[in-house]
Amino acid sequence: MASIALNLKTFVGLRQASPENNPITALAKPSSTTTAARKQLRINAAKTSPKVTGRNLRVAVVGGGPAGGSAAETLAKGGIETFLIERKLDNCKPCGGAIPLCMVGEFDLPLDIIDRRVTKMKMISPSNVAVDIGQTLKPHEYIGMVRREVLDAFLRDRAATAGATLINGLFLKMEMPSSKTAPYRLHYTDYNAKTGVSGGKKTLEVDAVIGADGANSRIAKSINAGDYEYAIAFQERVKIPDEKMKYYEDLAEMYVGDDVSPDFYGWVFPKCDHVAVGTGTVSHKPDIKKFQLATRLRARDKIAGGKIIRVEAHPIPEHPRPRRLLDRAALVGDAAGYVTKCSGEGIYFAAKSGRMCAEAIVEGSENGKRMVEEGDLRKYLEKWDKTYWPTYKVLDVLQKLFYRSNPAREAFVEMCADEYVQKMTFDSYLYKKVAPGNPIEDLKLAVNTIGSLVRANALRREMDKLSV
Amino acid sequence: MAPKVYVVLLNEQSCWQKPRYKTPKILRLRISHRSQCSELTTISFSNFPLENLLPPFCSSLLTMSIALFSSPPATHLPSPSSPHSTAKTQLALRHFISLRPKKQPPFWVFAENGAGSTSTAAIVEEDKPAAAEEKVSEDKKEESLGSNGSVAVDATAAPAPVTAFQDPRWIGGTWDLTQFQKDGKTDWDAVIDAEARRRKWLQDNPESSNNDNPIVFDTSIIPWWAWIKRYHLPEAELLNGRAAMIGFFMAYVVDSLTGVGLVDQMGNFFCKTLLFVAVVGVLVIRKNEDIETVKKLLEESTFYDKQWQATWQDETSSSSMKD
Repeated sequence: MASIALNLKTFVGLRQASPENNPITALAKPSSTTTAARKQLRINAAKTSPKVTGRNLRVAVVGGGPAGGSAAETLAKGGIETFLIERKLDNCKPCGGAIPLCMVGEFDLPLDIIDRRVTKMKMISPSNVAVDIGQTLKPHEYIGMVRREVLDAFLRDRAATAGATLINGLFLKMEMPSSKTAPYRLHYTDYNAKTGVSGGKKTLEVDAVIGADGANSRIAKSINAGDYEYAIAFQERVKIPDEKMKYYEDLAEMYVGDDVSPDFYGWVFPKCDHVAVGTGTVSHKPDIKKFQLATRLRARDKIAGGKIIRVEAHPIPEHPRPRRLLDRAALVGDAAGYVTKCSGEGIYFAAKSGRMCAEAIVEGSENGKRMVEEGDLRKYLEKWDKTYWPTYKVLDVLQKLFYRSNPAREAFVEMCADEYVQKMTFDSYLYKKVAPGNPIEDLKLAVNTIGSLVRANALRREMDKLSV
Repeated sequence: MAPKVYVVLLNEQSCWQKPRYKTPKILRLRISHRSQCSELTTISFSNFPLENLLPPFCSSLLTMSIALFSSPPATHLPSPSSPHSTAKTQLALRHFISLRPKKQPPFWVFAENGAGSTSTAAIVEEDKPAAAEEKVSEDKKEESLGSNGSVAVDATAAPAPVTAFQDPRWIGGTWDLTQFQKDGKTDWDAVIDAEARRRKWLQDNPESSNNDNPIVFDTSIIPWWAWIKRYHLPEAELLNGRAAMIGFFMAYVVDSLTGVGLVDQMGNFFCKTLLFVAVVGVLVIRKNEDIETVKKLLEESTFYDKQWQATWQDETSSSSMKD
């Protein structure tokens, strides 16, 4: 692509007899005359033929969570005029709040953002067999628990410092561009300018849009991205007495079972000074309260004496939307549906996808000097799918295999007792790489998994015989 | 359903000097015979303002006993006090129960129609040994505390008190294999049965997971041959039988149609393929429903991939439009 562009430029330069036909500097500032000349010489065949702009590229990022914040920061650092639109600057998104270790390094997060470092986990099977995992963790490895309002604010402020314009407003609708160079028109309500005739309603013209506005994304609606199935995660924040809180100092619990959730799990996660007890489901959403009661019952002894201080719920996408990109508008984070199965992890993938999309825009526009195209944004999708597809697929297989029924969950908890499994799980979770592992150990693991599943299913057949 | 009986004991002369309440509101019973008052028939009463009772009675015991009542005016009762009162009342009752043979104080019987509500505030069942009473109330107290921090107790949330899974052979969170001995060897079938029973119990009555009694049973302590003998062999016998019948029948039919004997059939590629298909079919399709299951599994395994590829289908259509 670049060579075609360069050849074109030199050709044009020769026509103009201008001295600036140095083939090495691809970032030379074009003049308006070359624009006119180039229009006649434009080759339509190449999808990624760059277009020239006389000013910096303008990009709007709608949604100021982890995805929006990291996208805006990368764009601003890349020299692009960025507008970050967020409707609630102090939003406490009800969320598990777990971030993997690699996120701290990759996003340069300061360590005081992390409230707790979880280094131990307990998996509890339907028949209350409890397995401790985390012995294989090295001393510097942990799962960070953060408060979303703190993390989101940090990322947004960093974007603003890098040069992004932070707008506190509500995105209303978006008008699609009329041509390949026409801008997108975004209509939004500016909360800082409520006074005046228009009542705060403003319009913003940008060249590209990144939709980072979460599971109920309006940008997704505007580009007809389609729907996805989603799980509902229901959570209660419980303040428990100090001596019980000590147990949860650095430990998170996961409860599996049909009583707790038919296709997900119940959890007790420690937060700054209380615990979050919750559960989720995809297929039996109306019964979520029943599942929550069952979760509380299973954790009863450990949260006894606690007071519920807050009840919250939020949707978790199950799979990506059918369309994640249209023209120069792309979706990232929860809006695109980048939440893993099995664990329901989304914060890291939101931030990473925001960054990747922004990088693709920066690269495609060559630091804001050229107009981007759908092809440039497709590069982000390509890179994303290539890098993280194995992770998503493996977690999908795990969910299908182990969250299917109670015997499968019993087998799952039995397998978690194995050290090799723990090591592989944590390695892939903390560093987001599907590590290949030792083939002999893998074989042993496969045999053990089959054995556990067979035993658990055999016991289930006995159980059925008892009820008859 | 056994009616629940709330018993309030009073010293005979304690505070009855000046009844300042209207008698019709309360039903008083003098029960002279002390022996068993387990299943007293209930006397239900309605809309009884309990505060009126409080001033006249100077015994703190009674105050707390009243706090036990979970009849319609339950909202009158401050729940924070009920846990304390529960414990105290239990002890007090025990104390009084031991005194019983000596004196015959009149006592109020405020009974609740057990068939009506399923309230969770401490349910006192008389005539149980005191230790069990305390244990049951202990459970209830924890339940009411843990289930809801707000004042009104969620009536639908609470089941009747169910004891945890108990079995003489289940010790310390695992099965005690020494109790499963038969002819000097461990009876693994009995272990499997016992574990199935435990899981069945827990499925119907989920229990809280407790750190003091962790469950450490692992099914892999049962040796592999025990599982094979019990589950694999009967199934294998069944499937082998099916395969043998199909094989005999097909060999006969092919022989009668083509005249090729069994040995020659095995040399033929088509026949070998048929044999393979027959064996795989017998293994995979064991019940009628398995056909549907296999089809669903195949679709399921590629479903997630399709969802991810959806955005690329979009690209090919839009790029063709562009050109």
